[in-house]
Amino acid sequence: MTASAGVRSRSRAGYLFVGGYVALLVLVGIWPAVYAFDLAVTSFGGAFTGLANFVDTFRAGQLVPAFVHIAVFTAIWLTTLVVVVVGLCLVTHTLSRRLGAAFRFVCYLPAAFAGSASVLLWLFMLQPGPSPWDFVLRALGRQTLGDSLAGGNLPVAFALIAFWCGAGGWILVIHGALANIPNEVLEAAALDRAGPIKTALWIKVPLIKRWIVYMLIVTFAAGTQLFAEPQLVSEASKGMVDATWSPNTLATFLAFQHDNFNEAAAISVDLLVVAVVCAAALVFRTRLFSVD
Amino acid sequence: MRSFDISITLNISVRSRPWSPRRLVPGLRQLIAWCLLAAAGVFFALPVVWLLLETTRTQADAVDGSALGFGSLGQVHLNWDVLTQTAGELGTWVGNSALYSGSGALIAVALGIPAGYGLATFDFVGRRPLLIATMLAMLIPSNALVLPLALEAHALHLLTSPLAVILPYGLFPFGVYIAYLYFNTPRIHGLVAAARSDGCSEWQAFRYVALPLSVPAVAIVVVLDFIASWTNYFLPWAMYWSYDVTGRFPVALGIAEQLAAGTTGGGYPLRNLELQTAAPLSVEALLILVSCVPVVAVVVIAQRWIGSGRLQGVFV
Repeated sequence: MTASAGVRSRSRAGYLFVGGYVALLVLVGIWPAVYAFDLAVTSFGGAFTGLANFVDTFRAGQLVPAFVHIAVFTAIWLTTLVVVVVGLCLVTHTLSRRLGAAFRFVCYLPAAFAGSASVLLWLFMLQPGPSPWDFVLRALGRQTLGDSLAGGNLPVAFALIAFWCGAGGWILVIHGALANIPNEVLEAAALDRAGPIKTALWIKVPLIKRWIVYMLIVTFAAGTQLFAEPQLVSEASKGMVDATWSPNTLATFLAFQHDNFNEAAAISVDLLVVAVVCAAALVFRTRLFSVD
Repeated sequence: MRSFDISITLNISVRSRPWSPRRLVPGLRQLIAWCLLAAAGVFFALPVVWLLLETTRTQADAVDGSALGFGSLGQVHLNWDVLTQTAGELGTWVGNSALYSGSGALIAVALGIPAGYGLATFDFVGRRPLLIATMLAMLIPSNALVLPLALEAHALHLLTSPLAVILPYGLFPFGVYIAYLYFNTPRIHGLVAAARSDGCSEWQAFRYVALPLSVPAVAIVVVLDFIASWTNYFLPWAMYWSYDVTGRFPVALGIAEQLAAGTTGGGYPLRNLELQTAAPLSVEALLILVSCVPVVAVVVIAQRWIGSGRLQGVFV
């Protein structure tokens, strides 16, 4: 229930309430974005170079593989997230309140370990021997931590870490959406003799579709920004995993190892465009956020 | 005697129903559902359980014993001693994290709650664009702005200053949006209008009527901003890591240093890689656990004031 425009008083007092926030939004939100854009279209000396930095970063041979890496990672992560999170929520939706809440608590707990803690923890998990998953790793033929990270296993390992930390939060969101389905709808389905699986797939899923789309877009945008996992694994592997594995690690590599701020800014503008397009799609193309 | 009769009857009635494979289906479905939930529960919980057990073990236990054995409580104390020796700056890291995340959450509340109120209560030129900008900003992943922020901080000579991470942590557009939704209800609009007609100034109407009602919104903003900034790795990394100002490191960078410190040379194939950390396994496990205690504490404390919202699903 959103209020109609009439209830808001036309007053300049509004500026006083939003002023501090707007100042901070400009200082650490809009200004850095504009400054990065400015750096991206200029040379080291400050001369305007148009798209040269963008073209150069794509030609240098590291950016395309980096984008391919995160495309694979994001595809694995999104698929797992949709199947497992929606599946688990549909199952817990049929449980008692208490049991469901306890289950969601267990799933949400790993969120406390997000960031570098989860990467260090999962490096222990992926190392055969002391890992509690030792039997799984042996069954998969992994002898060393390196086996768990080599070749095509790397994006899988990153998706595993991201999923372990992030799935719980999404389980809360999707559960919230399911909890909002009116009881009458489910009762009507039961009267029409729809079984639990039919109800889940043909009644509940269509009703929460927009939240699933929300999860997909936000996760996709976050996936393109991958940084902590590849940076730390590169560190832990003594550089055998490239420090330029993802676009963000490549950008920081250019900025801090080569002092090439202009090309680094070009890559972060690429990523920022992806993020803004995703955000705009959510605001303007879904009806999740009222712009009243 | 009577109950015996009944049980016999029940038994017979169950047996006499014609058997059909369809009757197995609900039971089978239930079984599959329980197996799925159990598997997911183990996946999410096992690393945490392992972490708790590992802190009670010696290095010998970790190598020889089973992965999920219990050592002794005394060993936790010994591991703690090793941790404070090898990670000598642990106190500094935790203090820094608390300073950055605490100040960030404070700024997020001090600026975000009034901003949400302003957007919900007043009509002013630029209100709609500001609301749209807020929604866009809250949906852009925080990592997207880290490198631009580092470039800006470099230009402003703010790199390696605590402000370089505190100010970005203080910008929490999602909190503004939560506050906006919270205040944009007929109930709050009515109460504010009544306060005005009773002679309250705009500030008084906010301070004494709307704000006291917004405690759940404040608690949610504090929890979400605190968790996000405490676990943030990229922003402090970009501001402090390359410049090696270890005195500014938050816990997240301290953990990263455990991996970097274990690094020695290289050059052999990735397949042979074994993990090397600055301290033994059980000590690193303790560090990971210590790093997340404040997050859990903040959630548990704030839970008292959160009546609704995203966290509700967990606790209700």
